[in-house]
Amino acid sequence: MRARSGTPARKARTRRPAKPALVLIVPSETVFLSLVRDVTKRMAEEAGFDAATADSLALAVDEATTNVLEHAYRGATDRTVELRIEDRGESFRVDVIDDGASVNPRAVPRVDLRRYASERRKGGLGVHLMGKIMDSVTFRRTGGCNVCCLVRRKTPAPRG
Amino acid sequence: MGELTVETRESGDVTLVYPAGFINAHTVRTFEGEIQKALDRRCYKIVLNCAGLQYIASAGLGAIMGAIEEIRGNGGDIRISELNETVLNIFEILGFHHLYRIFPSEMEAILSFRGEGEGRA
Repeated sequence: MRARSGTPARKARTRRPAKPALVLIVPSETVFLSLVRDVTKRMAEEAGFDAATADSLALAVDEATTNVLEHAYRGATDRTVELRIEDRGESFRVDVIDDGASVNPRAVPRVDLRRYASERRKGGLGVHLMGKIMDSVTFRRTGGCNVCCLVRRKTPAPRG
Repeated sequence: MGELTVETRESGDVTLVYPAGFINAHTVRTFEGEIQKALDRRCYKIVLNCAGLQYIASAGLGAIMGAIEEIRGNGGDIRISELNETVLNIFEILGFHHLYRIFPSEMEAILSFRGEGEGRA
């Protein structure tokens, strides 16, 4: 008898993430940032990262969520932010999703720390941190939503 | 539940600031407020004792960067002591350890100001 779509046998042959994603939906209030951080850190540790790396990954997700609150929602507290946190076997991935204003983080000027203070800049450090911590940070607009996708490989990629 | 408390006290002409808890976008105003109070008193020699600081996000780092120009412009500095591994790692990721002097103990940070001239205008 042949396995049909949806059966365990079929599923076993299908390439799937190692574990189902954890989906967390939080109100668009900064008070929930510590919850976002705690959940991300716990998931990163479950995925096999050491405590220090898990802390860094939690920081990157905190920064991505903060960006949503400040820029996509512009401080509105009656919205929600969705986080999809996945152990994908070889990598750890977090999608931060909002349905706020379209934002273009690539428009944020690169941070030159030695000039940052004298330029009296505000902001930009969060995107800079995310890029330093993650192997990949991508932004896309789809279905009226902003999706910030953060990926960290479990084995370090060779750095050029 | 409060996620950040910030206490300050004086040691000679050095202002000691003790953030305890998290500094992120939710709590950064509390932290900024304490730094600003020191600047309002024209206290420009500041030691940030981070023994109780569990975590700092870019909002907190931006608050330090936002004050440093005025502080150094008045002959002072922010010196940092007793970072835990998590916070030190964040400092290193951003390159803050190249911009700020970091000391293992509060006393070393205080003593680093001695003999550097007047930091309180």
